[in-house]
Amino acid sequence: MKFMTNLLLVILTLLMALTVACSSDKDKNKAEKAEPLLVVNAPYRAPISKTGPPENLKWLTNESDPVFASPEAVKGGTLHLAITDFPLTFRVVGPDSNSSFRSAILDNQLSLISVHPNTENIIPELATHWAFGDDKKTMYFKLNKNARWSDGMPVTAHDFAYTLEFMRSKHIVAPWYNDYYTQEIDRVIVYDDYTLAVVATKAQPDLHLRVALAPTPSHFYGKLNEHFVEDYNWKIAPNTGPYQIADFQKGKYVEFTRKKDWWGKDLHYFKNRFNVDRVVYTVIRDYSMIWEYFKKAQIDAFGITIPDFWYNKTDTPVVNNGYVHKIWFFNDTQRSATGMWLNQDKPIFADQNVRYAFAHAMNIQKVIDTVLRGDYYRLEQGFVGYGAYTNEDIRARRYDLEKVESYMKQAGWKRGPDGIWEKGDTRFSVDVTYSNEEHTPRLVVLKEEAKKAGVELNLRQLDPAAAFKQILEKKHDVAWMGWSTSLRPQYWEHFHSVNAHKPQTNNITNTDDPEMDRLIETYRNSLDEKEREALSRQIQAKVHQIGCFVPTFMVPYVRQAYWRWWRLPHPPGTKHTEDLFDPFSDVLGGLFWFDQALYDETQQAMKDGVTFPPVTIVDKTYLTGRDDQ
Amino acid sequence: MMAISPLTRKKINRFKSISRGYISLLLFCGLILLSLLAEVLISNRAVIVHYQGRFYFPTYGDIIPGTTFGLGYEYETDYRQLARRFKAASAGDWVLMPPVPWNPYENDFIDGEYPPSPPSFDRKHYLGTDTSGRDVLARLMYGFRIAVFFSFALLVVTYTIGVAMGSAMGYWGGKFDLFVQRVIEIWSNVPLLYVIIIISSVMVPSFFILLLIMVVFGWASRTWIMRTVTYKEKEREYVLAARSLGASDARIIFSHIIPNTVSIIVTFAPFSVAEGIIALTSLDYLGFGLPSPTPSWGELLHQGWTNLSAWWIVCSVVVAMVVTLTLVTFIGEAVREAFDPRMHTVYE
Repeated sequence: MKFMTNLLLVILTLLMALTVACSSDKDKNKAEKAEPLLVVNAPYRAPISKTGPPENLKWLTNESDPVFASPEAVKGGTLHLAITDFPLTFRVVGPDSNSSFRSAILDNQLSLISVHPNTENIIPELATHWAFGDDKKTMYFKLNKNARWSDGMPVTAHDFAYTLEFMRSKHIVAPWYNDYYTQEIDRVIVYDDYTLAVVATKAQPDLHLRVALAPTPSHFYGKLNEHFVEDYNWKIAPNTGPYQIADFQKGKYVEFTRKKDWWGKDLHYFKNRFNVDRVVYTVIRDYSMIWEYFKKAQIDAFGITIPDFWYNKTDTPVVNNGYVHKIWFFNDTQRSATGMWLNQDKPIFADQNVRYAFAHAMNIQKVIDTVLRGDYYRLEQGFVGYGAYTNEDIRARRYDLEKVESYMKQAGWKRGPDGIWEKGDTRFSVDVTYSNEEHTPRLVVLKEEAKKAGVELNLRQLDPAAAFKQILEKKHDVAWMGWSTSLRPQYWEHFHSVNAHKPQTNNITNTDDPEMDRLIETYRNSLDEKEREALSRQIQAKVHQIGCFVPTFMVPYVRQAYWRWWRLPHPPGTKHTEDLFDPFSDVLGGLFWFDQALYDETQQAMKDGVTFPPVTIVDKTYLTGRDDQ
Repeated sequence: MMAISPLTRKKINRFKSISRGYISLLLFCGLILLSLLAEVLISNRAVIVHYQGRFYFPTYGDIIPGTTFGLGYEYETDYRQLARRFKAASAGDWVLMPPVPWNPYENDFIDGEYPPSPPSFDRKHYLGTDTSGRDVLARLMYGFRIAVFFSFALLVVTYTIGVAMGSAMGYWGGKFDLFVQRVIEIWSNVPLLYVIIIISSVMVPSFFILLLIMVVFGWASRTWIMRTVTYKEKEREYVLAARSLGASDARIIFSHIIPNTVSIIVTFAPFSVAEGIIALTSLDYLGFGLPSPTPSWGELLHQGWTNLSAWWIVCSVVVAMVVTLTLVTFIGEAVREAFDPRMHTVYE
């Protein structure tokens, strides 16, 4: 039995790999205390500009947008969270730094300014005031004079100039950053210790998103050399945010503590936030194990967005006895453009009628109602959740056999003996390339329903890399995939003819339309926000009209379980919240707090076997555009 | 050449006398026959429809659109619904549905419930439904058909190549034998599983591509026995006689040596069938086999393991596998015993 032997071999190899992985960190298990680093380097001084900032600047600030933290919040307590892998380094640039843990460090590194999560207006962070230059590529900032590094050093304009120095250095071994801070940011002008300007390389819309630099502690890094990557692997860099790493044990845990006297704690948008004293990330390597730890209250919050968790796995004593609460929180953030991308270079999809018919043959609603238990929502178009940039009037084409029929007949097709549309030698039979095995049940239902409409779907599941390669080489008929999002919709990559008919570009539909090109070019070159918003909506209408994308699902919410001694404000999060128990995010995190009285009550109740009514909170504050739900 | 010789007849009679093996063979053939008739027994298409004085037999061939029976749609008739409608109208029309009125691809979603749903005589899901709401019995039956025929095809092709190659090695011997032996040794060290994983990650393997891969890597192990046996046979007088009469090498191998050694090969065949079924099932289980939504035991097994609370899935497929493999093993043992030159061997 050659085959079985091979199988056994694979399993053995895996086991061996596991044993090796486990034994390697045994000898390092001694706790490593993070020691506060003494200042050893002279701070970097950038040349002071001979001329001051222009006289006619209009300095702006914003202390009037609504706050989203709760005035009831109190300080104290420890939040326990889980990570599945210990970070490979605490550096935030350079090799191995791009782990999911990096955001925990970066979120405590504030920027000049930030964006309000609900109003999307600019709000102050390290800068108190800002002004736009007339050239549309310079922004001026006045720093908050109270801003301090975690080692007590003041944050000065030179630290921002040093950011450029640092990010452009080849010693950090981070080509992407080297490139970004060279191609996008031209220079930082220091006028005095607390006044500076950041100049972008070109005039652009949303300049404030581009030039909101974070400072880099020059007194900590000093002059960089080729040993940077090894030297700074486990060093704790000073930061400006509310928490700092206080303790860690490699492979086991990382502990953050709240700074006792953080300079920003009374700022308008930071008040009543960042309430817990300590945040401990424990390494638990298995997802289902984290759930077990959570049920033992060793982890405080757990994401239960997946239907199996929300409906089945949470049907467990700690939830039913009311010790753990469930919350279903709808947000209103940018949605991934998820769906079916039709390759218009394939002869079958060259005809717009056929593309429309295909869209009407996809019974997305049935998939939502059955496989997805009504938990997902229909995505109406590819760019939902971008505020004024989103065209709310577009409705995705619904499953409609009559429309399929009329479009196909218009295109000159007729039903073949097996019920599938035919035209000459061509059958309406297309391959759907996808990579996630979990999606097979969804596609199976689509396939059966499409058959009724006379469309045959052949499911082609490939390994993710192979699927993506096939799609980028434009060899697919229909690509079943989603794109990641950015703050503003990006069209040039996906729909401009420059990127059509050639491999390795993101125009996977091979859209090639002069009108579309014109709209996209105007959108890209416009510096006027209102015009850009209007153009964005027009482009979306155009995408809908071309019909090369069949939008499928979105998940406009998060669902979490948490122990009842945690309290959340009203509403519990912001428009863009994707984790209600995000402890650090400067934009939207740290809203929750620990209630000692509830903690004591719950512990006592669990000891005495007293139960509370189970609690499930559904918050629809930010649910938009869907009146039926 | 293949006329039944007295010796073969004796072997067949001996096989028949081993009742465990003989009954297993009959049962196994019965199962295969059933699976060949699966469209009549397990399908969403009616066996017979009587409508306005005409008979329709939708089982095989093109679809009959709903409009044929006065229904307002052009896609394939929903015969279960049609049956209910005819019954309600009681105008003399009737529909004869198969015992299991589901095909292995269709999803049956019941309002307010989510699949998998347990066995229900009411809805005629005798073994329940899987995680996509498809009938488990239908998928088992169609999956069985694919697995068995895959395994038979694999057997025939690998044996043909393996036997021919083995005989040639044994017959010619010398440098040719030495060379091919080394090639086979190297070839059989290529890990088949990895090859299949790699191939199926870049393309979606179809039935024949999968078969081809398994044949390419499977024939080598079939050569060894034939090689040894041929070495022995070629020194026998009848081969020498044939050669002195001027018979060609091919003639000697195919007309003389193989018929005299075939019994050895035959005893291995049933076990190879089992091996083929296991191989396809394992590949499907790991997700590297035939593309979805092809009905397959491996896929059902995978669903069963990940949804142990849906006991009917895992139970059905495990019982089906145990039964099939046991039958095949019994047949194999009986064949081996029947072909055994020493009559009194006992197999445990």
